[in-house]
Amino acid sequence: MPDGERRLRLISLLVGHGPDIQTSRLCEVSAEATGMSGAGIMLMSEDVPRGSICTTDEASARIEELQFTLGEGPSVDAYVQDRPVAEPHLARASRPRWLAFTPAALEVGAQAVFSFPLHVGAVRLGSLNLYCDRPGGLTDDQHADALVMADVAAQAVLLLQANAPPGTLAKELEAGGEFHYVVHQASGMIAVQLDISIARALIQLRAYAFANDRPLAGVADEIVARTLRLDELAAD
Amino acid sequence: MPREAMLTRTFVELADSLVADFDVVDVLTLLTSRCVEVLGVAAAGLMLVGIDGNLRVMASSSEGMRVLELFELQSQQGPCLDCYQTGLPVSNVDLATARRRWPRFTPEAIAAGFRTVHALPMRLRGNVIGALNLFHQDPDEMEESDVEAAQALADVATIAILQHRAAIEAQVLNEQLHLALNGRIIIEQAKGIVAERRHLNMEEAFYALRNHARNRRLMLVDVANGVIDGSFDLSELDSSDAQPAS
Repeated sequence: MPDGERRLRLISLLVGHGPDIQTSRLCEVSAEATGMSGAGIMLMSEDVPRGSICTTDEASARIEELQFTLGEGPSVDAYVQDRPVAEPHLARASRPRWLAFTPAALEVGAQAVFSFPLHVGAVRLGSLNLYCDRPGGLTDDQHADALVMADVAAQAVLLLQANAPPGTLAKELEAGGEFHYVVHQASGMIAVQLDISIARALIQLRAYAFANDRPLAGVADEIVARTLRLDELAAD
Repeated sequence: MPREAMLTRTFVELADSLVADFDVVDVLTLLTSRCVEVLGVAAAGLMLVGIDGNLRVMASSSEGMRVLELFELQSQQGPCLDCYQTGLPVSNVDLATARRRWPRFTPEAIAAGFRTVHALPMRLRGNVIGALNLFHQDPDEMEESDVEAAQALADVATIAILQHRAAIEAQVLNEQLHLALNGRIIIEQAKGIVAERRHLNMEEAFYALRNHARNRRLMLVDVANGVIDGSFDLSELDSSDAQPAS
């Protein structure tokens, strides 16, 4: 199928009535068109996952959150290396890849994961993540659909943001997204509690979450609610 | 070529032109030519609103159509302007009965050989960014399926314009995105610092920062940056600031 026809088919699935693109449809159409179990779109900056603008189901939300918590996974690799990343058989990964992410992703039901960088020209924004509850690679057709969807999604993200007031994230990106702002609030609190920099505070928070096998945002919630203090742990 | 096949071919041509660098005027001109072939109209023209809020003729299927569209803009009356101003389609207006509606445009359009006129809005997020004019030489009415096909072409043109914008402004738009993402993170971090130092909850910390910024006409993100790098003395924060309104 020529690329133009593929793009047209995917755009027509996205727009429905009129040219306004719904953020949630970006993920839904990505999953539907490629026959995957679910999809998520992660925004990245400075090689760090910043949050997801959409996910299609519980498992894809968990997969995004895992990568946000751990700072590793297919979306991070796809973004950093600026090329598609495929792991069609997570349970039998040929190379040791994503030591923390892989077992956790298997636990939420992913057997195969694929990630495609979102870029417009030389500009990189994040990645489109697909997961499947059965192992197996993408066909050429599925791969081509995913590439076009990543391209369309990248342009859609930029266009949605173009209409936002300066300095604020577009409400369309925020609405169905998950940016775990509580993690940054908790980092600020920990920086004061331990008298360290914000960057160090975030490292401490991640280390605690990882060591206790808990989601970063869940730990951050407790810090902000003042039911958990890392300085008390440090003093133990 | 059957009409459905021609319509499909047009969509494919337009979609192909979205792929890489493309000249948006070329795409829109292609669209007007295809409207003539696919929809069986005599002429088609496309106007877009510029940043100054005024409509401009972007593409026309013929030179005669271009001249008539320029006249429409100059006289500030006609189907494209009505469509743009109301955001609603102008359908099947017989020029024989339109002299009162458009006293200057109507005789000009009749002299150019047209009889029936239509205009479809190019819509985006509830805003109208332009209009597609379709002119017939006979009094035949456009069927509902033709109007739908024309509106679909107008929507594809809208996406073409948008994708073009994303491609040429990618660098700037991406910087805006990163500023927004990073700015929000800085504000959340500063809230955490203020909450901990001043024994406030997150909401109170936010109001304290926001009201401080507002009262001194500072950007919230700049105040937040000062909190994080230590250049802003937190004792300057008024406890009465930690309320919804200052």
